[in-house]
Amino acid sequence: MFTLVIGGAASGKSEYAESRVTGLPGRRIYLATMRPWDQECRNRIDRHRRLRLGKGFETLERYTDLAGAEIPAGANILLECMSNLTANELYDPEGGGQEAVLRGVDALLAQCGHLTVVTNEVFSSGAAYGEDTLRYLRALAAINRLLAVRADTVAEIICGLPNYLKGGPLP
Amino acid sequence: MILITGPLMAGKQKYICAALGLSSEEFARRAVWDVQELAAREQDLPALAEALSRREIIIATEVGGGLVPTDPAERAAREAAGRLSCLLAERADTVIRVCCGLPQVLKGKLPC
Repeated sequence: MFTLVIGGAASGKSEYAESRVTGLPGRRIYLATMRPWDQECRNRIDRHRRLRLGKGFETLERYTDLAGAEIPAGANILLECMSNLTANELYDPEGGGQEAVLRGVDALLAQCGHLTVVTNEVFSSGAAYGEDTLRYLRALAAINRLLAVRADTVAEIICGLPNYLKGGPLP
Repeated sequence: MILITGPLMAGKQKYICAALGLSSEEFARRAVWDVQELAAREQDLPALAEALSRREIIIATEVGGGLVPTDPAERAAREAAGRLSCLLAERADTVIRVCCGLPQVLKGKLPC
């Protein structure tokens, strides 16, 4: 089973995504993709760690090359988030671009139990950006569309509440 | 409490006034709106959410979409607005998102 969670800034998407995973039996792996660049990133990471505390997640940091991640067979994975991973794969010297992201997700799907991926709604502030930013937006948008095709459930989160674009709540 | 959310100028106020048969005076008395603007100035968001929740109708415009702003204050304001909406949605009996004037129920049921 594959769930894709999309939402804007502070829309409650992480809490919703965690709730998708904590209801499942088995090991829970949190695949963290944000590089701790600066204090704001570190604060964000700390906040997410506090949110996950006591929910039984093992954290695995992975900034690029998801396909190379060692995942315990059958573990339930929460990947957060696709917007950071995509930026890493596009801009890091060792990054493998859009293809590396998709290859990585397919590798996870082949190994894991339930996969939940958090992605971001970053597409509603127009297109008045430089070519480098537009290249990023195009890549993330294509990834989101391709993941939505693979997903059993796609949930858009609005103030912490799901609006199901595909599929629905877990039974 | 009913929380109405949705994009800017989506018809949130018009919708709830029509649904509940409210005049603009009644709306002004029973509702609080543009609460996303209060969030940025507030240190204690749960306290703000608690205080606002005593009102019958709350309108919050969605501001968290689109690329993350480069300005730190804008970024923080957007985050605060989003967190406030999540706190309000937890406390609400009904949450409705209005888009193009059309309501979609996210929690509870449509008022009639």
